[in-house]
Amino acid sequence: MNNKMLKKPLPSPEKKEIKLGYMRLSDSAPLILSQELGLFSKYDLTVSLKRDVSWANIRDKVITGALDASQMLAPMPLVTTLGAAGIRAPIITGLALSLNGNGITLSPDLWKKLSNHITNCGSPYFNQRSKEEYLKTNKQITFATVHPFSTHTFLLRFWLKSRGIDPDKDVKIIVLPPEQMVDSIAQGVIDGFCAGEPWNSIAVSYGVGVLAASGSQIWNNATEKVLGVLEDWHLKNPATHLRLRLALMEACEWLADMNNRELAIKVISKPEYLDISEHSLRPSLTGKIAYNRVNDSHDLPNFHVFSKYNAGFPWRSQAELMLKECENLLGKEIEQAKISSISQQCYRTDLYREAARHLNITSPDSDYKTETITDQFSDLNNGINESETPAIRH
Amino acid sequence: MIDIVDNDPIKIMLVDDHLERAASVEEKLTAAGFIVLCRLPTTTGLLHQIEQHQPDMVLIDLQSPGRDVLESLSVLSHHNPKPVVMFTEEDDPAYIEAAVDAGVTAYLMDELNPKRVKPIIDLAIAQFKSYQSLRQALDEAQRKLANQSIIEKAKVLLMKKHNIDENKAHKTLRTLSMDTNQSLPDAAKSVIELMEKTVV
Repeated sequence: MNNKMLKKPLPSPEKKEIKLGYMRLSDSAPLILSQELGLFSKYDLTVSLKRDVSWANIRDKVITGALDASQMLAPMPLVTTLGAAGIRAPIITGLALSLNGNGITLSPDLWKKLSNHITNCGSPYFNQRSKEEYLKTNKQITFATVHPFSTHTFLLRFWLKSRGIDPDKDVKIIVLPPEQMVDSIAQGVIDGFCAGEPWNSIAVSYGVGVLAASGSQIWNNATEKVLGVLEDWHLKNPATHLRLRLALMEACEWLADMNNRELAIKVISKPEYLDISEHSLRPSLTGKIAYNRVNDSHDLPNFHVFSKYNAGFPWRSQAELMLKECENLLGKEIEQAKISSISQQCYRTDLYREAARHLNITSPDSDYKTETITDQFSDLNNGINESETPAIRH
Repeated sequence: MIDIVDNDPIKIMLVDDHLERAASVEEKLTAAGFIVLCRLPTTTGLLHQIEQHQPDMVLIDLQSPGRDVLESLSVLSHHNPKPVVMFTEEDDPAYIEAAVDAGVTAYLMDELNPKRVKPIIDLAIAQFKSYQSLRQALDEAQRKLANQSIIEKAKVLLMKKHNIDENKAHKTLRTLSMDTNQSLPDAAKSVIELMEKTVV
């Protein structure tokens, strides 16, 4: 396809003053950098960034118009359009802001106990007998995730299943705000969690957590955060929406260059943005991750993915997989026809393609690709087994 | 809806870091005949508190990160079978807007009759709003007071430096404010900065 031929002049924005929501997380970098690199102004938008404290607030504020657009958890447009989480409103996305970026952290105690039950080389895996033994002799194991309908919940469930643990029967899964994860695991309120950064790195650096898997090792290049807007807002402000996506796509491209990451860390660390130390933000954003406090960091350059591998493309195959996973949480089946219609309504590949043409970025030909969930964690587990955390080997 | 359930008093839990506001909401609710089980700050183990107190309804400050926790109870609740429905399920968008504006929202732990719940939420919204305007009035008063003291300080500095009386100092300040197109407090600020620099 000849992109240049399809390129049209950029229409003027219907609305210039934009309120854009985000959360206190490392992967909010694209929104903050768009502002700091002057990319919003380049597209003639005046954006005020609004940091919020809960995803529920972000959703409600987008619905009521208190926010024009916001960073959102990837499943949020789908689930809100479906009306599965209380409130129902059609929310769409034409741009994924980041891929991966999460980790599963276990308390050193749980890590040790799991390692005692290793049945296949290197990676903790329960067989039926050891699992029964373990669950009989141990108190209720509690895991935390940051929101019910989140990649975090899906990753945690995938990982538990791959370890031979039934996420519904063998453990309790609760939701905690990400900022409470480190304290909660330190105090023994939870035995493990799946959260975004920097909360895994902080738990590891305090010695209260061991990183058991990164999101990229479970479901590689899963869409993590998206730019969400009300469908109706998009219809009223298509040119503003396009400009917003273009600015953010340029910021993502800037972030894709690992040489820019140190500067990004410096900027997002500021009190007016994340107000988190550079030291805590550094591991995941530079892709040098320590699995526990004592061992050296390992190279995971794709811990966060911005722009690379068509990262901005809102794959409908991912939307479908996420909706399918929601069935487990809702305890009921969602009709296949509904899954595919909601995916098409919310994950607007056409809007991504429109923006990509303006930036001469080649879009994928199809809206669907094969999604692979792995249950092999050789890399990380080798890393952890080299550490002081004792792992009994057969 | 079962009648017996309908007649039971609704037990409410309040989650709010603003202690005064929480107290005022509780006072109004109690006066209206509702039962407030407890008031909690946002960080104290919300799930544990819900298990302990078994509320029918939770009113929560929008500034609390605990909202995501409450929303999870309806879906991740294999171990806690109580359904939680967010009240804003009501299809009136103006209602959600009012709640978001006021900064409060509600979660129901049981299937309660919306007609019984609405007055509670209305009351909370009204209380949050009046707290908001009280807060704004207080902030405004404090700002005025701060401005006044800046102006006074600048006047004293001018009086000392130029050996003039208060009236003259005030006039000087006013002229500066008009000439430089600044507000009086801003002009006072620049005078203070300048004077303090020259002293050093």
